[in-house]
Amino acid sequence: MGSELNIATTNSSFLSRAWIGNIFSMLWNWTGGWLSWTQQSDTMLRNVEKTILSCVKTVYKRFYVDIGSVVGQCDKIWTISLNDEAPQTPLVMLHGMGAGVALWCPNLDALAATRPVYAIDLLGFGRSSRPKFSSDAEKVEAQWVESVEEWRREVKLNHFVLLGHSLGGFIATAYALKYPERVRHLILADPWGFPEKPANVYEKYQLPFWVRAVATALQPLNPLWAVRAAGPAGKWLVSKTRPDISRKFMNYVPDAQTVIPEYLYQCNSQTPSGESAFHTLMHGFGWAKNPMVRRVDKIHPDLPVTVLYGSRSWVDNSTGQLLTEHRPNSTTYVQVINGAGHHIYLDKPDLFNKYVIEACARADEDTSFTTRNYENTEAPKDTNPPQKSDGDTLTSDNTIPKQTQNSTQAQTS
Amino acid sequence: MNLSFAGCGFLGIYHVGVSVCLKKYAPHLLLGSISGASFGAVSACCLLCDLPIGEITSDVLRIVGEARAGSLGPFSPSFNIQNVLLESMERYLPADAHKIVSGKLHISLTRVYDGKNIIVSKFATREDLLQALLASCFVPVFSGMLPPKFHGNRYMDGGFSDNLPVLDENTITVSPFCGESDICPRDLSSQLFHVNLANTSIELSKQNMNRFARILFPPKPEVLSNMCKQGFDDALRFLHRNNMITCTRCLAVQSTYQLQDVLDDTTFEYDPDCEECKTHRENALVDDLPDTVMTIFQNAIDSANNGLVNWVMQQRGMRAVSLLTLPYRIPVDVMYATFTNYVGGNVETHAEQYTVVGNVRVIRKRCVRHNNTMTRFVACTPKMSKSLWRLSWRIIRQLHGFLYSAHDRSEVARVYYKLTMDKDEHRLDKRRASQLCVTYGDRDIPTEPDTFEHILNVTNHNDALLAYYYLDSDNKMKMTEIYDVTDADTDAVQSPTERDLNKQLEFDNDWSGDLMADDQDEIDIEEELDRNIFSDPESEWRSRAKSYSIDSAASSESDQPESDRPITFMHAE
Repeated sequence: MGSELNIATTNSSFLSRAWIGNIFSMLWNWTGGWLSWTQQSDTMLRNVEKTILSCVKTVYKRFYVDIGSVVGQCDKIWTISLNDEAPQTPLVMLHGMGAGVALWCPNLDALAATRPVYAIDLLGFGRSSRPKFSSDAEKVEAQWVESVEEWRREVKLNHFVLLGHSLGGFIATAYALKYPERVRHLILADPWGFPEKPANVYEKYQLPFWVRAVATALQPLNPLWAVRAAGPAGKWLVSKTRPDISRKFMNYVPDAQTVIPEYLYQCNSQTPSGESAFHTLMHGFGWAKNPMVRRVDKIHPDLPVTVLYGSRSWVDNSTGQLLTEHRPNSTTYVQVINGAGHHIYLDKPDLFNKYVIEACARADEDTSFTTRNYENTEAPKDTNPPQKSDGDTLTSDNTIPKQTQNSTQAQTS
Repeated sequence: MNLSFAGCGFLGIYHVGVSVCLKKYAPHLLLGSISGASFGAVSACCLLCDLPIGEITSDVLRIVGEARAGSLGPFSPSFNIQNVLLESMERYLPADAHKIVSGKLHISLTRVYDGKNIIVSKFATREDLLQALLASCFVPVFSGMLPPKFHGNRYMDGGFSDNLPVLDENTITVSPFCGESDICPRDLSSQLFHVNLANTSIELSKQNMNRFARILFPPKPEVLSNMCKQGFDDALRFLHRNNMITCTRCLAVQSTYQLQDVLDDTTFEYDPDCEECKTHRENALVDDLPDTVMTIFQNAIDSANNGLVNWVMQQRGMRAVSLLTLPYRIPVDVMYATFTNYVGGNVETHAEQYTVVGNVRVIRKRCVRHNNTMTRFVACTPKMSKSLWRLSWRIIRQLHGFLYSAHDRSEVARVYYKLTMDKDEHRLDKRRASQLCVTYGDRDIPTEPDTFEHILNVTNHNDALLAYYYLDSDNKMKMTEIYDVTDADTDAVQSPTERDLNKQLEFDNDWSGDLMADDQDEIDIEEELDRNIFSDPESEWRSRAKSYSIDSAASSESDQPESDRPITFMHAE
């Protein structure tokens, strides 16, 4: 399956290399040394991530999971796992656009206290590989879902509670649509990409010409282009434009004012592969090309969903309503966290953890999971993970997850 | 609950809309501290001083008109924003403004020499307050060259360091930019990225780009009017979503809750069973800006659009001509400004002093006249406080009719009689009354000695009015009335502990067991205290009503005047 996707990608990406892409790559090469990403920064990212994670009290493992060829030739997904010996249903966390595993650090301890917790850098973000995604929105989505599925096979999880924030929420929903038998409970924290783009955006606001001109000029650029375009000033730019994120880590990370912008900068100044993929999913200014609202009714009716969002959030928070309306016979829990913005897990970590733990506990108790009916999915639920057929992937020798254990910390709480 | 207004230059008209809504539907929110930077601080000050919103709106529109009139817009040499602001504030702020706002108004300032943020909340004199407000509105180059001095240091716009000062966790943030604020416009764009500039989160959207340009370049009155309306709508939506729209009666019900339930932390201020609340909320949902504000906008729009001169100026050709002649008009404008400044004996350094400068004096005459007609017009239409007062009276009257027709004529009629008598005898001034009904909604208020005395005075003469506030009315016709003993034994007669007890009984949430002992009551109050009242308020009321029924029957039969009775609880069912 991975190879199919891969071939399709190379074809379409070849076609889609329009003149804009050419010009940008030319510029990239031309400015070369100044703008390009150096090897040194990779170690910097590793170190800064380690610094942030030092606030986690639970023992954790960090390792690469080799998922073979899903998008690129040999994709690896950076994973952090805590308490993975525990018998409870594991929790898998997907971060949002431009973030990485380290940003979950205020939540990891509390969540790992009750169950195994896995957090991954999505393919194309953080320390995971950065392959070139397809330029077709549907394919990008499928590629991301497939990467998560491959990862699941490698770490040998039968079923889990899936938690996604922002873009991660979109991917998590897409995953639950395709592999409902793997997901015991879906938790969406301020998910992106649910509502349809309203048709009358421009009629309602008569905007002056210059505004429209600027907007049109920025449209083809990747969302975080400014961070890379700023070159050496990028870190300063991040710390100046998002001082709020660093402030949220003040209680957890020593020296958060410098460490967090550094981490965000390092995460997003590499090849913008995940970012371009997100740009492909986007339509207009921040709307999804294939919004989930058209598909939520296809989520398995027995799959319980919890939606958490902050009261100040700027992502449209009608998602909870959408889900309840479109799935009348299913369980959907909607929880608004007062005073929290888009980054609910940082704004109100205690409340967020509480709600997630509650949702996970419900998933543990949920007995209907074993009796769920998967008529429309070809893969019936079994206790063993399905073996990959060798011809499927290019890296056939990887049935055992390749765990590059970079560091294993054993701190006592 | 605290409020925080973002600084936003000419977009401040958004705050006007928000203020109108808060005053009308959630007056209890205005009792805490209000912070702000730049124009946000000015709006916060106006809100705290309870200035008439209509006049303020017209004044803002006048300033906008002046700013748009110059050859370079607000950058014209003849337009001095600091002077205009100073003038308006001088005119509208009451003489004791510094006393009213001290401790409540938090103004965010940026110290010029190190760029640090300073929050000022104590103002010794009125001049102090004005100076702080002016400093908070000072944008270098735009407002002038030399920042104003406040307590020996030079300060400029708070928006450069902390545009949205947040005092504590329970701060409602108001910002005219779409972003992560509590009350802010929700643009239709779902742009994922936002920046955080000087503590104000601003979404990167086309609408915000447009708004950003409007900070210093004011738009047409139509746009301003829309912005004001948007503020009203956004505030309303926020209140609605958080169940903060309360009717006067519910504020009262809530205060009854406070008497019993101290431990409950959740600020659930909305009683879902209250019919009045429901209708109030329903009305609120379809509500719009009050006529007062709307008519002013309409006038401004009309005056900007009507007339032959305006028509001519709006033609494309004419616009091109005015654009082309700009290079010639600027020197003339500069010369004019310099000349008037010279004549008025004014130089830049004096602009910050409290002297009326030459050019402003000329404009001022015109403005005052212009403004007078505005004021006259505004005076004809009902003011905010007046309508609030009327609203509460209407509710009382409806309530009376309701009570009267339904049940227990003698008792209620007596209460109403007393109420109307009180109305004749002690006609409350409007402001006090609105403060009164506001105060009951807030649990922190006894800490404010000033307001506390106010309420004490008013309620001492109006215990029947108090009876109304303690009324629970989910169509069950139950009534709780607490009479204080101060009428019988005046403060002088009472021992300090007794006085303390009375205060607690009336206002405080410290409902202790020994108070109940006076009542020879046999039910275990502590047990009731522990129960969560919000889970089922009705059952609570019922059990109470039962337990006191003998008491209330006895009291209604007794000939003893109410004022002589000590602490009595009456439940008329």
